[in-house]
Amino acid sequence: MGGNFQFKYSVIWESIPVLMTGVKLTILITFFGLVFGFLLGSLFGLGKTSRNIFFNKLSGFYIESIRGTPLMVQVMFLYFGLPLALGMRVPPLVAGVTAIAVNAGAYIAEIVRGAIQSMDRGQTEAGRSIGLTHFQTMIYVIWPQAFRRMIPPLGNQFIISLKDTSLLVVIGVGELTRQGQEIIAVNFRAFEVWFTVAIIYLAMTMFIAKLLNMVEKKLEIAS
Amino acid sequence: MIKIKGLHKNFGSLEVLKGIDLHIKPCEVVVIIGPSGSGKSTLLRCINLLEDISSGTVIVDSFDIKDKNTDINFVRTEVGMVFQQFNLFPHMTAMENVTLGPIKVRKMPKKDAQKLGLELLRKVGLEDKANVYPDQLSGGQKQRVAIARSLALTPKAMLFDEPTSALDPELVGEVLEVMKALVLEGMTMVVVSHEMGFAREVAHRVIFMDEGVIVEENTPEEIFSNPQNDRTRSFLGKVL
Repeated sequence: MGGNFQFKYSVIWESIPVLMTGVKLTILITFFGLVFGFLLGSLFGLGKTSRNIFFNKLSGFYIESIRGTPLMVQVMFLYFGLPLALGMRVPPLVAGVTAIAVNAGAYIAEIVRGAIQSMDRGQTEAGRSIGLTHFQTMIYVIWPQAFRRMIPPLGNQFIISLKDTSLLVVIGVGELTRQGQEIIAVNFRAFEVWFTVAIIYLAMTMFIAKLLNMVEKKLEIAS
Repeated sequence: MIKIKGLHKNFGSLEVLKGIDLHIKPCEVVVIIGPSGSGKSTLLRCINLLEDISSGTVIVDSFDIKDKNTDINFVRTEVGMVFQQFNLFPHMTAMENVTLGPIKVRKMPKKDAQKLGLELLRKVGLEDKANVYPDQLSGGQKQRVAIARSLALTPKAMLFDEPTSALDPELVGEVLEVMKALVLEGMTMVVVSHEMGFAREVAHRVIFMDEGVIVEENTPEEIFSNPQNDRTRSFLGKVL
């Protein structure tokens, strides 16, 4: 079994330039996916805590439907399904960023809701008692405190979303996983290439973890 | 200053306030006493609509607080509120706690707000703590900052919800001193408190509440030395 398998280091060095073009795209998709995902998550997370019935129900529907369906199906629906209904093609990259944003948004919404609801009611009351509006209380009193509580679970979600970009392979976005697949199609060196791809993902997720750790420390010191 | 008429408050099927009538005159200091669960805090919280009113009217400085046309945020700046648990904003310095209201609600320029903030912190004896965060303050200091935060809106009346109940005994005095200073300035005050000494010393009127109604009200001298109602007598017997 694999008796004459030989690990070829040269394969790694040869693949790196191509894999790096994939890394760039992976980072790009993750970054924009998370920026929009955070905006969506904040909006619908606030919606989940809102007393406005419509906004509240809408947020609930969004969160439930995204959490309850596989990302792979969401991606394919966005890229293959929706264009048929809209009568226009969506570039794979746009579909990819949208899928990551919409998906991460639902999970981030739950993180936001949880953090806000974990705040002491006295904080809201103190804000309202000095004449701040509900909105002002949210912005100046609740959000900055809740945000600190969001950081650890957000870090988790950022890492998940980064790894999730590999699923975009099914719609042909040239991100890291896709580049790995294409290299293997040519050289058949699955072991070395997937190993390298895995190490690169690991490096990226560790970087995110480290970064969020630093942010958390910094906010701790600031209070 | 504050007129309450036929005020009822229900939490679900539980009736906490069963028809309160109370008229508080400008510059008057009213201390509300009574056993826990008697509705004292709820009554206070109804005055600035932190609790919704089930029925009845509350008029604060000529504003009917249940009227749709009343800007409740404005009314809340007219009656400051001090909480048992202080509720300072932990992510802001003492100064930022005090100036948030003036800057965001009164739209005061930051410089002026800070001048006001420093003045108020001096008034409560904490000007040297302006740049300190709440977690570095003692309970008594926190409560004094909270009082300064309320005063920053130049309210016409102040509501105190058991302001010293969460404090270590040796820190109660410094908070009461600040409150006494406010009394001398002629601030209208409604204080829910277990500090009978404070009530005796500064209150113009003491109200005894039990089970959602005002059982008895009188001057502190009368109520402490000559309570008319059995329930008042039994309560005072336990706490004095």
